[in-house]
Amino acid sequence: MEALGINPGFLLVQIVNLVIAYVVISKWIVGPVMGMLEKRRETIAQGLEDARVAAEARANAEKDAQKIVAEAQAKAGAVVREATERAEVAARDVKISAEAEAKKAAAKALAGVEEERSRILGDIRGQVAALAIAATQKLVGDALDEKRQRSLLDEFFAGVKSGKVQVLEGAQISGQSAEVTSALPLTADEQASVKKDVLAKSGAAEVAFRVDPSILGGLVIRVGDKVMDGSVAGKLEGLRANLR
Amino acid sequence: MTEKPKQKVWGRWVVLAAILVGIYLFYVAKIPYIMPGVFLPAEKVFEIAGFPITNTLIALFFVDLIVLALAFGVKRAIASGKNILTGFSGAIEALVDMLYSMTEGTAGKWAKAIFPWFVTIMLLVLVANWMEMIPGIETVGLIEPAPAGEHGEFTTTQIGPFTGIMKPLSEEGELVKFVPYVRVVSTDLNFTLAIALVVVVMIQVYGIRSQGLAYFSKFWNTGTMFTKPIFGVIDFGVGLLEIVSEFSKVLSFAFRLFGNIFAGSVLLFVIGSLVPVFAQSIFYLLEFFVGAIQAFVFGLLATTFMAQATQGHGGEHHEEAHA
Amino acid sequence: MDIAAAYILGKLIGAGLAMIGAIGAGAGIGIVASGAVQAMGRNPDATGTVQTNMILGIAFAEAVAIYCLVVALLILFAIPMPA
Repeated sequence: MEALGINPGFLLVQIVNLVIAYVVISKWIVGPVMGMLEKRRETIAQGLEDARVAAEARANAEKDAQKIVAEAQAKAGAVVREATERAEVAARDVKISAEAEAKKAAAKALAGVEEERSRILGDIRGQVAALAIAATQKLVGDALDEKRQRSLLDEFFAGVKSGKVQVLEGAQISGQSAEVTSALPLTADEQASVKKDVLAKSGAAEVAFRVDPSILGGLVIRVGDKVMDGSVAGKLEGLRANLR
Repeated sequence: MTEKPKQKVWGRWVVLAAILVGIYLFYVAKIPYIMPGVFLPAEKVFEIAGFPITNTLIALFFVDLIVLALAFGVKRAIASGKNILTGFSGAIEALVDMLYSMTEGTAGKWAKAIFPWFVTIMLLVLVANWMEMIPGIETVGLIEPAPAGEHGEFTTTQIGPFTGIMKPLSEEGELVKFVPYVRVVSTDLNFTLAIALVVVVMIQVYGIRSQGLAYFSKFWNTGTMFTKPIFGVIDFGVGLLEIVSEFSKVLSFAFRLFGNIFAGSVLLFVIGSLVPVFAQSIFYLLEFFVGAIQAFVFGLLATTFMAQATQGHGGEHHEEAHA
Repeated sequence: MDIAAAYILGKLIGAGLAMIGAIGAGAGIGIVASGAVQAMGRNPDATGTVQTNMILGIAFAEAVAIYCLVVALLILFAIPMPA
């Protein structure tokens, strides 16, 4: 042992020294440093806890805010939808009633106009006939009697000669509905005869009468998609085409 | 690094100049240098009231001073209420933090009780080992006449103004031995053996504190002797081996540290005598690592053995048997 | 050969032979380090635990070499020269 340098006295010194070092180090280094580390760990844990709480609070606040916003949005949406629906209903009602009224007014106006026109034209017919007769008498003298002249004029205007519609002579027509246009309104007799004739010829179920002064005289009969032009204007047009 | 490039360049020039001076002194001027001699026991430098003071005791004094200063610095730094320690205190704090997490992993709930030993051993041995790095230690010393029969292998010669110590080429000159004033305390077996003894005693203390008298059943295991005829005898033999292993712990603790550091010192001497210029520096780096690792291993092994003693026996046998 | 020379010769050869035991410790330390490095390479997260256990294993392997050193030192320094 002595050769290796091991000596009880020195050994004792070293052991005592080690124990002193142990006491000093555990008192001055380990204790304070562990305390500090512990404190730091606690601080960090506290900080983390605070952060967690804050984050939670923020999350809650966010959730609340979201909820409020969502509610507001839902409410607003409902209000808007209701308003839209109501507006739509009202608009539809308004539109429907307006349309109906407009239609009614238009129909009424149309009927009034038609009636007025027919009445005026009917009034004119007599005067025109009288004028025409007077003019003809001036030209040809009294070769024709009053009655004969009237029938001629009627024939001119109505296109009806001795109870027969001239346009329909030899025409082959058929259709469901017929429309008869005359330059001046037809009398009830003429209307009846034209109607009878047209119905017999075409087999149409109904006949509508229209007045259009621009055709000057005669009749234009439309049955289905066919038009028989027996008007004076049509004849003049044909004449003009031939002369050219 | 970037803000002080001048200092870096300056340091390089110093190293180069030192190498050149060394080359001049040893190869041109042929200054004689100390040849290695291996002395196992610490040498006596002087006496106080009949008690011999060896050079390792002087080193121990310095080690204690440094450890005391560190401890005081840490204590004062923490007492000042600073949240973040700087300098040496910060380094010690980081070391303690790291060691504690390690201790907690091995010792569990006994970590708080065992931990101061870890720090004490680690710091003391680390400072002792790293003292080897200080210039002048183990190289500045007395020249004593060698007593007859001892290892007086050098002769003194007069070379110019210097007294050189050399291996005797002829019989001229007086036989002397070289005694450094300060020798690293880890190269004294008393130091390492003291730590090893205290650690092994503390292992038993912690074992008894944690398990009571049941701790001794590890050594005197007669419980299974009669229930299991053959294995009971084997268990008893293993228990006896445990006693041997406790003594071998002392031996391996003491001689591991002593062997590593002493071998390091001898290595430095040998390298210095072979290539006197610069080559030693590389081995200083090696010694730096060896010193740190040995300090850490000593502390870690002590902690592990103490932790094992607190956990009772069962499955740990083979590890302890080898130690 | 005189006794002193035989004493010195035997001491030196004996110490040298005693240190042969360090071969095993060296190989053992190499194996421990190799295994630990492989483990750390496969599972870098476990580096701390593996390192601690590696150092422990190296210390146990080194213990054998230390017994050799003790024997060698005893042979070198503790055997007195026969009169």
